[in-house]
Amino acid sequence: MLFTSLSFFLFLAATLIVFAWLPRRARWFWLLLASLAFYASFGLSNIVFLFAVTFVAWAAGRLVACERPAIRKPALIAGLVLILGTLFVLKFYDFVAAEIEPLLGSVNALPRLGITAPVGFSFYAFMAGAYLIDVYRGTCAAEHDAGRLALYVSWFPKILAGPIERAGPFLQQVPTRLRLDPVLAAAGLQLVLWGLFKKVVIADNLAPVVDGAFRIAAYASPMELLIAVYFFAFQIYCDFSGYSDIAVGLSLLFGIRLMENFRRPYLALTTAEFWSSRWHISLGHWFRDYLYVPLGGSRTGTLRRYANVMAVFIVSGLWHAGLGYGVGWTFLIWGALNGFYQWTGLATRGAWRWLGERLPRLAASAWLRVLRILVTFHLILVSWVFFRADTVTQASTVIRRIGSALPGLPALAPRYPFTVDHAAGAALIALLLTVEILDERRPMRERLAAAPVALRWSAWYAAIFGLLLFGRWRSDAFIYMQF
Amino acid sequence: MEQVTAVRTTPRAVSAAWFIGIGLVIYALLLAGSEWLVYRNGRMNPVYKADVAAGDFDWVILGASHAMPLDFGNFNKEMQRRTGKKILNLAGSGTGPLYARFAFEHFLTRHRTRNLLYVADGFAFRAPVWNEGRFTDADLMARTPFHVSLAGLLVRYVVMGGVDPRALADYVAGFSKLNNRGRFQLDVWEGEASFDRAFKLSPSAERKRVEYLYPPVADERAGSERYFDVLADLIGIAERNDVTVTIVKMPLPPRFKSLLPGEATFDAALVSLAGRQGVSLIDWSDAMPDPGFYADTDHLNRKGVMEFFGKRLQPILSGTPLPTPF
Repeated sequence: MLFTSLSFFLFLAATLIVFAWLPRRARWFWLLLASLAFYASFGLSNIVFLFAVTFVAWAAGRLVACERPAIRKPALIAGLVLILGTLFVLKFYDFVAAEIEPLLGSVNALPRLGITAPVGFSFYAFMAGAYLIDVYRGTCAAEHDAGRLALYVSWFPKILAGPIERAGPFLQQVPTRLRLDPVLAAAGLQLVLWGLFKKVVIADNLAPVVDGAFRIAAYASPMELLIAVYFFAFQIYCDFSGYSDIAVGLSLLFGIRLMENFRRPYLALTTAEFWSSRWHISLGHWFRDYLYVPLGGSRTGTLRRYANVMAVFIVSGLWHAGLGYGVGWTFLIWGALNGFYQWTGLATRGAWRWLGERLPRLAASAWLRVLRILVTFHLILVSWVFFRADTVTQASTVIRRIGSALPGLPALAPRYPFTVDHAAGAALIALLLTVEILDERRPMRERLAAAPVALRWSAWYAAIFGLLLFGRWRSDAFIYMQF
Repeated sequence: MEQVTAVRTTPRAVSAAWFIGIGLVIYALLLAGSEWLVYRNGRMNPVYKADVAAGDFDWVILGASHAMPLDFGNFNKEMQRRTGKKILNLAGSGTGPLYARFAFEHFLTRHRTRNLLYVADGFAFRAPVWNEGRFTDADLMARTPFHVSLAGLLVRYVVMGGVDPRALADYVAGFSKLNNRGRFQLDVWEGEASFDRAFKLSPSAERKRVEYLYPPVADERAGSERYFDVLADLIGIAERNDVTVTIVKMPLPPRFKSLLPGEATFDAALVSLAGRQGVSLIDWSDAMPDPGFYADTDHLNRKGVMEFFGKRLQPILSGTPLPTPF
């Protein structure tokens, strides 16, 4: 029951109708039932994992919240090991076993689990882990009601691919703010509409070009690979941020506010800005608060700080390894490459600051800003190749083939047989970037609210009928729900 | 306080009603445009063919893709010229007896025919994907013209025939037509492009094709029994409309035929059904072993169709007495 399916729209309508009809105090329980039904639609066995994670978080949270230090810390560690350890084992055990088995010789065959993490497990395991740490730190009260904690973990708009919402802000809203507010609902519907547009019109129309080129990476022309790499950058963005917009929008329909997960990432001036405050913000904050800061963060020595940064990105790479593009070394390289970008940024930060002070007009110029955006985008673009490729060999093939043909590409481009799909993809990317640039200067919601009604309605009709006419509704997954 | 609420909500409600109303008008206009495109680019869809055909017929051909080459490259016209009979081919890609019955019932609301040639394939009597599943195929529904009567027929297939209600919702709302990526392209089946080609034997292609045609099913026997019942219904409908039914099995390359699972069981069930229903059955599956007659793993090419028609089908369509059933 994906967000893009007819059954989901029927489910949503039924959930909303009953939600509006129920007395306010009973609404959270109805939403819990709806969330469980939604998650069970991806496989009944998934519910076992969800219950187990919720129970461990709830029980460990109660112990962590007690006054006795002898219990608090062991309970925290036990809870985290159980939840995050299960995630690690489900994700990596079979892969690691397959990698080290050849080293042990044929007589030492290692047993295999043969099961993979259920859909969305990475996300709710991280949410449950965050809850335990917050309770330990005292930034969030332990939830006494296991049902409400279950709603936090299983809340259907976010269970498959986040945002990785913190327990505190979510649970504060559960008893009091569950209501059908027309203003919030209108904002929510607008977000859902834009999220759907990004997913089914942009991402899913770019996907066939990307998949086609990566499937035959060794034989595809460099131009085809280059187009695929550019398209993938926007496919992954629209697929994932589309999901997040839908999740945030759906939550608003029920009066629940979730955190913003994407903020026009391809307009970032640096890769540090990209990762810290524009791309998958909830995960970036998770790593900052629960890994980077405990490791010492920026308040340690230079070497230690560099090591911490790299550790965060490598763990992030491991977290991303999953069913989407397989579990492999590519994700480790992807993480390490982004860690390396941060190192470079840290190492050159002083020099840039010095230059900015000496040449303030240049530092403030729009041209430099555009140049920095383009450089940052292309650095991220290179890392996406490792993210998308099935193997390191395939990634290096793609980079090598594009790299070796780059000098001749300007001459090749006019003769390349561009297809309708290429033109449509480029047009959709141009549309997206136009909206994002306008949104960066002044939020689109504000612009539309201030616009004449004819223009405002035209924009919504264009989005709605764009979905109907050009959307690809047969996709069977969002990319990130598979991680 | 209540008055304030009324003042605030009324314009909002009116505004919402206008927004929805204008949206519905745009939707209706787009749907009308899509329906026009269905007719402008229509060609192979069985419902479309029945709609645009004029008058009554001597023969209607039903079946899956093995019957489609009889209408490739204007060959249907050639068959009509050589037999002096009016023939309409309503075969469709991957359409089992359930969809064939649906197409035939629609045909009978507009035309009459004296004879029905049903081309039977084992795979089509086995899996729901070739029967109930065809109604949820967006590509097929996108090319199916809208009629209130057909929507009514589809309601019956949903209620009685196990067709997914979403197929009905799609057909009535016209979503597949609006969302059709090939809306500006002619409705041709990909197999027609290779009609003049001779297939180079490929065991792996044959294996893949058989795997595609015979997907795993939960209960093969129950499925088969159900679809034989549907064929019996189809024959019953034909008889009630004074239509004579002939069932045939099209020629297949020997090696491909040898790969088909449960073909002997299917043949036996078909013989039994033909006997019970008193209809003619002709098995031509071994009639043309030369691979040069095939465009791909299992469809006749132009040379094969000409040979098949000239030596086998023409006497039947012309009204020559049938050979002894097998």
